[in-house]
Amino acid sequence: MSVRILGVAIFVIAALYTWQAGNYVVNFGDVLGPSVFPVIVGVPMMILSASLVVFPTGQVEWPAPQRMWRQAAALAVLVGYTMTLEPFGFPLATFALIALIGIILGGAAWRAALLGAVMAPALWALFDKVLGLPLDFLGTLFGRG
Amino acid sequence: MFFQRLTSVKLGAAFAAALTVTAVPASATECIAPSNPGGGWDFTCRTIGRILSELGLVDGNVQVTNMPGGVGAVTFAMVAAERPDDADLIVATSTVGITQIAQGRYPAPLDAMRYLAMLGADVGVIAVDNDSPIQTLAELNAAMVEDPTALVTAGSSGAGGWDHIRLLMVAQAAGVDDLGAIRWVQFDGGTDAVTQMMGGQIDVVSTDLGEIAGFVESGDIRILAALSDDPIPAFPDIPTAISQGIDVTGYNWRGLYTGGQVTDEQYASWVERLETLYNSENWQTAATESGLVPIWRGGAEFEAFVREQAEVMEQISRDIGVIE
Amino acid sequence: MEILSLLGHGFAVAMTPLNIALLLLGCFIGTLLGALPGLGPVNGVAVLIPLTFAFGFDPTSSMILLCAVYFGCMYGGRISSILLNIPGDEPAIMTTLDGYPMAVQGQAANALAISGVASFVGATIAVVGLSLFAPVLARAAIHFGPADYFALYILAFATIGGIAGVDPRKTLLSALIGLLLATVGIDPISGVPRYTGDNYHLYDGIEPIVALVGLFAISEILMLLEKHVRDRPKAIPVGSWLPQWGAIWRTRAAMLRGSGVGFVAGVLPGAGASLGSFMAYVTEKQWSNKKGTFGKGDPRGVAAPEAGNNAASGGALIPMLSLGVPGSGTTAVLLAMLVSLNVQPGPLLFERQPDLVWGLVASLYMANVALLILNLPMIGIFTRLMMTPTWALMPVVAAVTFVGVYGISNSVFDLEMMVFFGVVGYILRKLDVSLVPLVLGLLLGGDMERNLRRAMSISDGDWSILIASPISIVLYILTAGFLALSVWLALRDHRQSQAERLTEG
Repeated sequence: MSVRILGVAIFVIAALYTWQAGNYVVNFGDVLGPSVFPVIVGVPMMILSASLVVFPTGQVEWPAPQRMWRQAAALAVLVGYTMTLEPFGFPLATFALIALIGIILGGAAWRAALLGAVMAPALWALFDKVLGLPLDFLGTLFGRG
Repeated sequence: MFFQRLTSVKLGAAFAAALTVTAVPASATECIAPSNPGGGWDFTCRTIGRILSELGLVDGNVQVTNMPGGVGAVTFAMVAAERPDDADLIVATSTVGITQIAQGRYPAPLDAMRYLAMLGADVGVIAVDNDSPIQTLAELNAAMVEDPTALVTAGSSGAGGWDHIRLLMVAQAAGVDDLGAIRWVQFDGGTDAVTQMMGGQIDVVSTDLGEIAGFVESGDIRILAALSDDPIPAFPDIPTAISQGIDVTGYNWRGLYTGGQVTDEQYASWVERLETLYNSENWQTAATESGLVPIWRGGAEFEAFVREQAEVMEQISRDIGVIE
Repeated sequence: MEILSLLGHGFAVAMTPLNIALLLLGCFIGTLLGALPGLGPVNGVAVLIPLTFAFGFDPTSSMILLCAVYFGCMYGGRISSILLNIPGDEPAIMTTLDGYPMAVQGQAANALAISGVASFVGATIAVVGLSLFAPVLARAAIHFGPADYFALYILAFATIGGIAGVDPRKTLLSALIGLLLATVGIDPISGVPRYTGDNYHLYDGIEPIVALVGLFAISEILMLLEKHVRDRPKAIPVGSWLPQWGAIWRTRAAMLRGSGVGFVAGVLPGAGASLGSFMAYVTEKQWSNKKGTFGKGDPRGVAAPEAGNNAASGGALIPMLSLGVPGSGTTAVLLAMLVSLNVQPGPLLFERQPDLVWGLVASLYMANVALLILNLPMIGIFTRLMMTPTWALMPVVAAVTFVGVYGISNSVFDLEMMVFFGVVGYILRKLDVSLVPLVLGLLLGGDMERNLRRAMSISDGDWSILIASPISIVLYILTAGFLALSVWLALRDHRQSQAERLTEG
């Protein structure tokens, strides 16, 4: 079933992609134009994904609900990191990232927090000081800007 | 520690980097080259950045950022949207960029930026392989007039870009009617185009001299015409198109812009510093060595020049049929 | 003989204390950067450019430092591929296919040693090729026209079905998704923005490293979350800390074949190390996968792509130095640095700057030896990484990938893309869709399309140009041969398994 759904999803994406390609036209000096290659990619995608819908292969075992919740929590932490990195600055946001993912992965809370407290400043030092790739120590919330 | 005092350069992979003001240390001067490393804009930023700090015109080093995409459109959009008032930011541009703006290919209008100065110009050339039967510009033009589709031409810009337009201007002056019939192939750089010509894939290359000068010196390719008013000092034997009866010039000047909302004082300060840089021995040497002809236009004069060139370029593009 | 004396002169240039110090520093930093997922050779080299300016090194010393970093990255990329199933950089993706299974089977030390020695063999063969034939090879490479490049990419994608996965349709779909992603962004030929949704973050396309770390690293965390919830620590048998030399020796033929294939891919401007390691793997698999062990931890599946990727990286220096045409992202950065030091690579570089060219070549020989010496003792340390419990290892890996991407681009949008690709990667992996073809499609798709369009512009719309040159004809014959061989092997396996079932039944 899952494979069939994947096939349908890819088919829809490929169809939209191929249809959209028709809108890219230039009429000067570019023989093939920007629309032909997407069609060359999109059409076989539609055929292959349709064949997956008709003749699916493989069995998929999705995780149990409570494990899915853990995955969702991990994703929430990752998305949260992208949102808090600039306001909170690198070390603080990274501390939270490491500690929370560590806890979600089954580490003891105090150990995960300790790991984050050590690794976040260490990574900041490695990138900002050693490699010369600047990272904000304090974020925009704390007056950096 | 070891690299502590170094300002970083973000390069290559820095794709459409949304460099927010906060991400860059406040003191750092930054020059964005809106291209991959290696091209003309990259050279502009790296050379000017180096000399600015050599002359002590900025604090510390100048951070050079490569932000390729859309022949400068990505950088233009980013500066217009996020850093219009950042006086520590300069961006490399050239005739190529203004051509794109004139053809409406940038997401913001010309007025979105303040144009600082032009510091030099590269000269466009028309080249053929050393083994090519075509010996002179007149022979090339005769071949194109007889059958516009006969020859495959190429350069480092896409269809309708400055390399292409320069070639079409020559063809138009020579009396080719169906300009759209001339075959044009885009390559990622002038060097790529030249090596493909040496490999026999294409017949004619139209691009800047600077990048391909090594192939002229080694005798691999032959320049039919330089699109300049006077012969190029480094290659006095190359005839200009004008001297062969084709009244076309095609410079590719190199210059800089900054955000549209920097104050008049900040703008004036940049123009003044760039003029000092232009007059320095360092710049004159660096420019000449890389095949540029040093030319100065700055401040209001340059703003007016850019506007006029954009209008001219729009007219040419319309005449030739690149835009409707 | 003349080359020997030039090379001797090169060693004299390279053997100054400063240059040797820079060389060792470059090797170390390069290995580190290559091993960190998200930072690859392009960034590694770029990060060090300001250093060369700040200290005012001459062009030769600068090139020695940066090329040592470049080679070091190529060595380092394999480490996280093998230990974590997360490629350290783009060319290391092929190493995950057999390297990680080897590590899971307790062969981590062997996998690291084989890949280290393979890297050395590949890079050394490339440097020998560079010192002997650079100008000749560069002259040969220019005969590769747009139609020939297109044929080369067709060969690559036709053979992709054979690399991994159960269902070849899924593998092919994965490659097509990669090609689809490669068309996002402003089209360089016409200037038309495609599939960007007017978001200028997408104008320059999807950065492969962002997709790569998202697809592999983030999805790995999601995979682990469904397996290891609060139960046991990672139960991977470590086997031995020390590699067995016999295991390395047995892969010698694979290393040589991989080096040859990779070197050719490297010399062609534009193809680069990723294509080199990919073609090396596929060739090796067709050549020696008689028992179906590839993809399940076959040492030759580690040796070939690592030799190929390093040979390609060395090979890519040839068009960069002797034509001024960068063959890859990293060589483009090196080229830019040379230009800003007022050295113009091109046909006259070998005559005008013999110190630079031969000093560089000599330093590359030295860098290879240094990297081998540096990497082998570190195997024991890296192998112990496998003992780190998941809850401690993976959060740090996640943080490193995020900061690696963010440190270069300063773009939160890139981080969001990473998470998005992580979810996509997880779903595709659950459904038995290999991610390797997707990344290859994304890496090679842009060039494939541009060369097709260039060829069509040259021929003014006549499709027959695609089969007009002898090079492309040979490549298409190879493609057909590859496909025929795959079908024949599949049929044979099918018949064998049927026969086995009959005898068992």
